[in-house]
Amino acid sequence: MEDSNGGASHAVHISPEEVQRFCEFLYRRTGISFTEGKRYFIDRRLEDRIAATMSPSFQAYFSLLRADADHEIEHLINSFTVNETYFYREDHQLRCMTSSLLEVIASQKKPGGTVRIWSIPCSTGEEPYSIALWLMENWPQVDSYNVEIVGSDIDTRALRAAAEGIYGDRALMRLSRDLIGRYFRPMADGSHQIDEGLRNSIEFTRANLIDAKDMALYRDFDIIFCRNVLIYFDDVSRRQAAENLYDCLRPGGYICLGHSESMSRISPLFRVARFPDAIVYQRPEADHG
Amino acid sequence: MPLVRAGKSPAGDGDSAPHRAALDSPDAESRWMAVRALSGNVDAVPALAAALGREPVPRVREAIMTALIGIGNAASVEAILPDLRSDDAGLRAAAVEALQTMPEAVAPFMAPLLSDSDSDVRLLATELVRNMDASEATRLLCGLIEREQHPNVCAAAIDVLTEVGTPQALPALEKCAARFAATPFLSFAISVAIARISGAEG
Amino acid sequence: MADTATPAKARVLVVDDSSLVRLYYRSALEKAGFQVEQAINGIEAMEKVLSEPFDLVIVDVNMPRMDGFSFLRTLRSADADAATVPALMISTESETQDAAEAKAAGANFYLVKPVAEAELVRHVCVLTGASL
Repeated sequence: MEDSNGGASHAVHISPEEVQRFCEFLYRRTGISFTEGKRYFIDRRLEDRIAATMSPSFQAYFSLLRADADHEIEHLINSFTVNETYFYREDHQLRCMTSSLLEVIASQKKPGGTVRIWSIPCSTGEEPYSIALWLMENWPQVDSYNVEIVGSDIDTRALRAAAEGIYGDRALMRLSRDLIGRYFRPMADGSHQIDEGLRNSIEFTRANLIDAKDMALYRDFDIIFCRNVLIYFDDVSRRQAAENLYDCLRPGGYICLGHSESMSRISPLFRVARFPDAIVYQRPEADHG
Repeated sequence: MPLVRAGKSPAGDGDSAPHRAALDSPDAESRWMAVRALSGNVDAVPALAAALGREPVPRVREAIMTALIGIGNAASVEAILPDLRSDDAGLRAAAVEALQTMPEAVAPFMAPLLSDSDSDVRLLATELVRNMDASEATRLLCGLIEREQHPNVCAAAIDVLTEVGTPQALPALEKCAARFAATPFLSFAISVAIARISGAEG
Repeated sequence: MADTATPAKARVLVVDDSSLVRLYYRSALEKAGFQVEQAINGIEAMEKVLSEPFDLVIVDVNMPRMDGFSFLRTLRSADADAATVPALMISTESETQDAAEAKAAGANFYLVKPVAEAELVRHVCVLTGASL
């Protein structure tokens, strides 16, 4: 990384007290915490971010971070977490869906009733296709209900890629060869395209979580996967997104967040729902005073 | 006179009169939708403020505060301030959270809040400083702890200083330590704040 | 009888939005042999309480997104083993009104801030049945 200050270019020294300050800020704001053993890891990441933002000191960087200048919180969190998308990512939530959530949901539907599941943001489609694949492979009653899966994103380029459904080895790394063989066809360049039937079964749309007008077009979802996006929003946007998502869920519907996310840092609108495979959140069936 | 449009629009379009009327609805869902429809509507602040004062359902209260934050002006702040004095812990917390997101709009109100005759209000007000510029936050909180007799108010101020305090805070913290030497938690808190601030190079 | 390791006396969840309070309670309780976890508000507390067994929850009143009273009410009405975990509520209020409200919400005991280390440890020992 280039040093803009000229002269002596060395990493900014970060004191233990400064690391403490940083860790407490991060925990308060995101819920992410580190054990003592991870101290070195934090120091490295902090040094990287201080250099990347060309901050002359930890204090200068911390002020920048507190003000979330240039989306620094997003850059920081990305430096701590692996944020690539791939099929069957965080599959404990998919397991929770078939082992727990759908049992509750199906009990409230007539046979042949519609089950609506939303993946937002869906990025390049790995998540909504994963949901479809998982349901077909793991939900015995998948044919007894009309399952509607919607995948939405603010990025139209990602949506086009999602509709095309072509993936490389990395995206498919969690899938067995048997699964790939059954649901994908190989392309000349070694990539794989997901079956046309699956491509046609997902409705891909453009939507902005913070835009109430966009979100008003989406209603009566039983499950929403909203993973690894709210953590990056500022306080006001989180509230708006949470209220929008509330309206998009059926009363009693469930919402799943990303592995480092918690409603404790986002919104009081949902109740905590603990299942064997995951903690998810539920829109209450009714208001309490 | 503007045309009255039928039906509801999700965000700040058209005549807001039907939405303002719906703020009085006996049905919580109708009030929720009305509040959300008034989002971003500066003229709606008085109606939203009035609605906030009487809203019993927590999620509708949340939505009213979100709508007010979205507008984010002095009138929005004034609408939420009274809730700092509420007997309802949840409402107080919601008010602090909402006000914290508007550091610039709240700034002119800080001095009176930090010298309010009610110690609970002073305590909650210290939280509002957390998202402000470090020098300003330090100045405001040092001013408070220099004269504050109530240990819990000091504790709250010290908690914020631990995060944002600059070395300017050290003299006030030392004096505070002397005043509360007999209160174990405060001695502890001040020593951590001092170590945290001194350890942080300027 | 032959056990040479000293297991934690009990598992305690400290719920307070002040990092200094959590630090103070945690260091006091760990010194006294307790295993301590933390949460910053009632929502995070619910997540923790529903995920791991605790012998006591210490909960502050004033917290963002879910205050102490709301947390206790939600906890006590949850359909889970955790619903009956003992709870020590700590508040800045000293009026009897708050102690009564604490009991009504489901607190087993109520203390007024600032709580000193010795006082905290003594009450936690009593509430968890651990010896001093």
